[in-house]
Amino acid sequence: MRDGIEAARRGVASVALVTEQFWLQGDSVAVSAGMPDLPRLRLPHPVAGTGHDAMARVADQFAARIVEVLRGQALADNVVA
Amino acid sequence: MMLEAPDEAAALELLHASGCTDGLPVVIPTQGRVDRLVLASGLDADHLLGEMGPGGGAATIEKIATNAVMAGCATDHMPVVVAAIRALLRPEFDLGEMQATTHSTAPLMIVSGPMVRHCDIACGFGALGPGHRANASIGRAVRLCMMNIGDARPGVSDMALLGHPGKFGFCLAEDEAASPWESLGRSAGFSIEESVVTILGAEAPHSVVFTNDADDADSPSRLLRAVAAVIANTGSNNANFGAGSVAVAFNPEHAEVLAAAGMDRAKVQAELHRLATNTRGHLRSLNTGFLRAGDEDDVVHAVRRPGDIVVFVAGGSGLYSAVFPSWAAGAHRNAVVREPIVTGESCEVPWAAAAPPAGAPTQS
Repeated sequence: MRDGIEAARRGVASVALVTEQFWLQGDSVAVSAGMPDLPRLRLPHPVAGTGHDAMARVADQFAARIVEVLRGQALADNVVA
Repeated sequence: MMLEAPDEAAALELLHASGCTDGLPVVIPTQGRVDRLVLASGLDADHLLGEMGPGGGAATIEKIATNAVMAGCATDHMPVVVAAIRALLRPEFDLGEMQATTHSTAPLMIVSGPMVRHCDIACGFGALGPGHRANASIGRAVRLCMMNIGDARPGVSDMALLGHPGKFGFCLAEDEAASPWESLGRSAGFSIEESVVTILGAEAPHSVVFTNDADDADSPSRLLRAVAAVIANTGSNNANFGAGSVAVAFNPEHAEVLAAAGMDRAKVQAELHRLATNTRGHLRSLNTGFLRAGDEDDVVHAVRRPGDIVVFVAGGSGLYSAVFPSWAAGAHRNAVVREPIVTGESCEVPWAAAAPPAGAPTQS
């Protein structure tokens, strides 16, 4: 979450990847950093430690959406349509 | 924000419902009670000590006093609470990151100097347990500040997977009277007249049992090896990260074993640093995610430098000392911070000109 905020502060289009268990913390950090609307996608939990194949599946599942959100062609999970 | 309620019982329920408590009843922070502790700080109510993470709340004296009232602090305690908050806000403490970690860590506050006696901060039997008003109130005040100013909420912004009881309050004094070594404050370069709070983010105490044998010349070495084995405990972050700080509370009897062997604090720290090790192979046989692969016989120290081990005397005399491992992460690897306790600013506070209460216990 902090990485996404730091990138956004530098003017770099960014989307934060936040796992389900840390979703509320993501909200909290975004609000406290003054960037409540920073785009973020909700990943399954856990990702860390699940092994190469599982992480590759998550990457495959989310890569296209990440690009679409960065291009403004799709809504992030924290955005209410 | 000012909350209103018809009576104190209703106010307590309102504070519980607002998430402003630690789950236990609090003293209702009426304006008069808050003003009294603001006065005791010797600073203006709107004096800003800094922004407290992870929420970035403004740590003003009035907010700190409000939380200190809720925690049950007396006026005497306020300078200690202010010093502790100043220490936590030092950038090298990485408080925002520490509050948000999944590790079970809490600021362990060790108070040294004249304020220990003045505030009656316990350093002996059960100093980290119940029954000591100053320890409980000061420690709790800091925790409530971390929750209500820093916005650390369990499962939302404080992501400790389990936490530990020290997250309610984690404050004790160094037993300078029983210590064979100079105080922590003196060791850090403060004068003997200054009171100092030393803080590191720490786990709950891990007990170390040791039986001395005055006829055994190897006793001091056995004691150090016993303590070092707990510092190098392979379940700790220190052992796996090879970094961070650690506190070691020697009980007076154990400290005397080391002092009788001619060991000052620096020697104890150096020996503990030398002995608290694992091999790369052993650590990687348990966790593959922290240390890179390499020569399995490489020696990995649990802390980088001897000075990362805070050695002090506390607790009753007997079989047990204690090790407090740390989180060992963050940009500054869980640095130890120290802050003088400023009392000169509080000349208007009644106790400042008075002697300690009759019958007040000494620190021994």
